[in-house]
Amino acid sequence: MMEQEPILERDGDGSADAAFHRYVVPELPALLRVARTLTQNSHDAEDLVQDTIIRAYKSITTFDGAHPRAWLFTILRNTHINRNRRRRPDLFDDPSDVETIADHRSSDPAELVEQSAFRDAVVAAIATLPAKMRVVVELVDLESCTYAEVAMALSIPIGTVMSRLHRGRKHIKDQLIAKGLVNKKVSST
Amino acid sequence: MRDNLREMRNCHEVGQWLQHYLDGELEPVVSTQVEEHLETCVRCGLEFDTYSRIKTALHDASALSPELIEDQIALHRLRRFADELVGHSGPDA
Repeated sequence: MMEQEPILERDGDGSADAAFHRYVVPELPALLRVARTLTQNSHDAEDLVQDTIIRAYKSITTFDGAHPRAWLFTILRNTHINRNRRRRPDLFDDPSDVETIADHRSSDPAELVEQSAFRDAVVAAIATLPAKMRVVVELVDLESCTYAEVAMALSIPIGTVMSRLHRGRKHIKDQLIAKGLVNKKVSST
Repeated sequence: MRDNLREMRNCHEVGQWLQHYLDGELEPVVSTQVEEHLETCVRCGLEFDTYSRIKTALHDASALSPELIEDQIALHRLRRFADELVGHSGPDA
């Protein structure tokens, strides 16, 4: 396989700032969501993303332009590990501990009410999911992450991503069935 | 009877791939097979519709939740920070 050149050499315009805006800034929402999961704290999450941005900016000239989200998730995860090691060296010996850490819109009022009830029930159901399961559903459904990207972000095997996603969505579906918002003929698989 | 059994087996297999199909994670060949099955199977069609509605509802709800409003404020600060970083230092700094 041909090794890719750093993005700036390939583009030839020397614009680190342009590369930063192109590859880093669009990923801020996904970074913040993963950071919230890792830190369990809004303030720490924002700080972690800020540190990640700085590290990404410093190394943007060596980034090859392929898979920016995966590249940024790696920086985020490593930054998080380093921050925790500095804060709690005795409690953070194992890097794997990081893991603990169709358009239905309508103008019909009756249908809008039904959609609103459905949406509220989905929101209520996802709130009851365990945090590890919830973040996987959010990354896939809200941030449009691929399974591989979620695996990379959370340092878990892709099979774990799939099983948490499936169990999470099934839990939501079961709650909707219990509230009579979904046809009972829908299977329980 | 034999057709019913084959249909049930297909439903079981498709059920395993349904969420991957929803997320665009299937190989094109398998994706086409799932698509063909969904065209003719009411039960799997309902199942797919439910997961699809859940995905859409989550996406729509994200714009309304208080947590997301908090996220939007944090994101605004982070974007401003990113702009300032680019404006005040070079990547070698």
